[in-house]
Amino acid sequence: MKPMLSMVPPDPTTLNPRDLKQLHFLMQRFRELSSDERYTLIQLMTMSSADFLDQWFETDVLKATMSASGIIGTFLGIRSPGTAYVLLHHYMGEIDGAFRSWGFSRGGTGAISNAIAAAAREAGVEIRTKAPVGKIVVKNGRAAGVMLQSGEEITANVISSSVDPHLTFEKFLEPSQLPSDFLEGVRRYKFRGSSGKVNIALSALPEFKSIPGDGAHLRGAISISPSMEYMERAYDDAKYGHYSRRPYIDMVIPSLTDPSVAPPGKHVLSCFVQYAPYKLAEGTWDDQREAFGDNVIETIAEYAPNIKDIIIGRQILTPLDLEREFGLTQGNIFQGELSLEQLFFLRPVAGQPGDSQGMEETGGTAAIERSKFFESACGDECSL
Amino acid sequence: MPIGQRVVFIGGGHNALIAAFYLAKGGFKPLVLERREFVGGGAITEEFHPGFKVSALAHTLGPLRSDVARDLRVENFNCEIIRPDPRVFAPTSGGQALLFYDDHAKTAGGIARFSAKDAAKYTEFAASLSKISSVFAQLCAITPPSIGKPSPEDLWNLLKTGRGVRGLGKHGIFDLLRWGPMAVADFVAEFFETELLRAVIAARGIFGTALGPWSAGSTAVLLLRAAADANPAGSATFSRGGLGAFTHALAEAARQAGVEIRTNTEVQHIRIKNGAAIGVVLADGEEIAVEAVVSGVDPKRTFFQLMDPSQLDPTFALRIRNIRANGNVAKVNFALNELPSFPALAGTVGPDGFRQALSGRIHIGPEIDYLERAFDASKYGEFSAAPFLDITIPSLLDPTLAPAGKHVLSTYVQFAPYKLREGSWSTRGKDLGATVMKTIAEYAPNFPNLVEATQVITPHDLETKYGFTGGQIFHGELALDQLFTMRPVLDWARYRTPIHGLFLCGSGTHPGNGLTGASGANAAREIIRELR
Repeated sequence: MKPMLSMVPPDPTTLNPRDLKQLHFLMQRFRELSSDERYTLIQLMTMSSADFLDQWFETDVLKATMSASGIIGTFLGIRSPGTAYVLLHHYMGEIDGAFRSWGFSRGGTGAISNAIAAAAREAGVEIRTKAPVGKIVVKNGRAAGVMLQSGEEITANVISSSVDPHLTFEKFLEPSQLPSDFLEGVRRYKFRGSSGKVNIALSALPEFKSIPGDGAHLRGAISISPSMEYMERAYDDAKYGHYSRRPYIDMVIPSLTDPSVAPPGKHVLSCFVQYAPYKLAEGTWDDQREAFGDNVIETIAEYAPNIKDIIIGRQILTPLDLEREFGLTQGNIFQGELSLEQLFFLRPVAGQPGDSQGMEETGGTAAIERSKFFESACGDECSL
Repeated sequence: MPIGQRVVFIGGGHNALIAAFYLAKGGFKPLVLERREFVGGGAITEEFHPGFKVSALAHTLGPLRSDVARDLRVENFNCEIIRPDPRVFAPTSGGQALLFYDDHAKTAGGIARFSAKDAAKYTEFAASLSKISSVFAQLCAITPPSIGKPSPEDLWNLLKTGRGVRGLGKHGIFDLLRWGPMAVADFVAEFFETELLRAVIAARGIFGTALGPWSAGSTAVLLLRAAADANPAGSATFSRGGLGAFTHALAEAARQAGVEIRTNTEVQHIRIKNGAAIGVVLADGEEIAVEAVVSGVDPKRTFFQLMDPSQLDPTFALRIRNIRANGNVAKVNFALNELPSFPALAGTVGPDGFRQALSGRIHIGPEIDYLERAFDASKYGEFSAAPFLDITIPSLLDPTLAPAGKHVLSTYVQFAPYKLREGSWSTRGKDLGATVMKTIAEYAPNFPNLVEATQVITPHDLETKYGFTGGQIFHGELALDQLFTMRPVLDWARYRTPIHGLFLCGSGTHPGNGLTGASGANAAREIIRELR
């Protein structure tokens, strides 16, 4: 699967030799797999993470915890077909050559972004912060630059957008500037944010009933995913517009590995929470934020009863906050559902403008020429 | 193998009868062995209460794939096909209703009362569906290709299908790629805003499966079904005398072609020697020696009950074991002393239209989330208190099924999981019957007073009485990972098995699904090729 992640997805509808060659390469690779590998791969691309794991294991809490990787950032349950792919996706990364591993960086994840920025600056990139873009300037059907919200205009021949398709095409451009087919595809692209983040400042370490005291068990990820039924019911709540009464929580205490993030003896508890549906059946996220946070703490308290006594402060980020403050439409952390119908050559839109054939065939009032405009990133599935 | 050789079929369901017919036409001597006293498998008629006959399980026909229909000509064998129009009546509990006709414009007229936008879109949708599903129809007619060593036939089939796909145009191809893995709830929402309309169309993607409308892959199932009949509401035809008349006609056509059929004959096991099937052993001890055995029963039963699984390659056995075949559907049949009245019809047709409107299928499942909640219950080993029902009242167009003035109401109930968390189906079947009665009463208030008798067929009954392992009526879940080259398992999706001379021809093979005869016809083609 790894080569596919770094490919520019070929267009499956064309007879263009370059795309055909890539499709042929993929088909050959598939055929070169052993029967067992093919069987497993097809299963991983189509099954639910729960059904897939049922074939391997019998222990409920083990399956529940592993299947959780299959629903991160999605609006799907562990029994939903297509989540085995997401499970695979989360196991495909690597750090320092160690395949399938995850880790912390000193100073938090921000240190990674800063390191990338430093490397970029060293290579000659100019980076301006506090410079929000207002719109993309289009002249004669070509992207000609951007205008900041301040009114400052910056001309450019090439614009590369790494924000999601909704923002790029619907906020920074006018509908009349895009072919109607393409715009329809953008509008159909599903976001469906389903997660929230609760960051808690603690005066001491949480004491877990199951393994009291400090230890190695607190230095990795702590997963509240006690059973497959628990995980599935958490999803059911969200389907009907409620945050999970008993959510899946993935927590880390980075201060144990990196004391620089908290005062001595104190700690940070960072909690990723699912599910928190962007669209609520009743009320708004502004009304429900505190109750959502309380519910997360109530849930943690069932496993670590001292939690309420040691809370110094908390930050609650709902899907609405993720949208407003971090530019993630509907709070979806992958800039769009990782669902089978919008992956690879269907992401973000089938027949995207990166394909010159696509642009020539679609009409629209103002075709945007491929050579001057790239949609270069779509969350985790980079197309460049 | 010389022509004229005897071929034994295990099970006399519709696919086996059709496959046997083709083998006979191909010069072989098929012998069909059916455990029960009459053939038919899931397409049978039972007198479930004195004077009342019903299609006990399946209550509407496929329809048969056109070439199979042409070859077998069931209408020459005492099988009259009845085609109700409207096909589907779908009420809401609030008294509104939609009727789905053969004529799309007529259906759109009714939709207009809910939404002018949806009415305008309906005919366009029907056309899109017809176009895309025609590609699926091509896929249903071919043998899934061998991935490792594609034969010239495989390449030709892929080329033909590829041309069919390209004929859809760029837009159509991308639609096909997008829709296949989609959840039906998202699919119908791309076209329509009316909940009831969405729910009726979406239901075709979940019937008989362990999928809810929000499950990925349900659109692929819908497209698979649309390949047989592209009307968005699906087909509603049945045979006079119940579906038993249909399978009896298949049996007659088969007999006339040279097939021998023995009923009340149970196969105990398949005798295997040196990796080859050399005969079958019957329950009464009789042994029949043959060089070719075709199983029309489901793959799990074939490999784990009809033989010693230690005879199988461990990888193959593991893959068969991994097949998900837990049924999620039950059937309830009622004998009624009168036709129930549905108040929701009053706003849609005049009183003289009531009988006609009830003559096709009646869909109870007014919203997408209603269907999803019914599905939710099954995930936790329960049946829903508000189930999705697919109902017919066949006695309206076929009075032979009930005494004069009385009626039969036949309903599929979803979702009813094979594994219950509390209790067992032997004790809880009547609860299910009661739930169904209560649900119908919400749409036809006088219904409970009309019931003379109830027959509940639970997933457990589907297994023990009717021979469907796990109560799975399609011999294996219809899910993305169990279709086409993965049906029944990867590398063995071409009707052959690792046991030399043993073949499969039932729903557990490609394309599976309803009473189209495609699995049987495809299997026959491959078996003849292999045996010649």
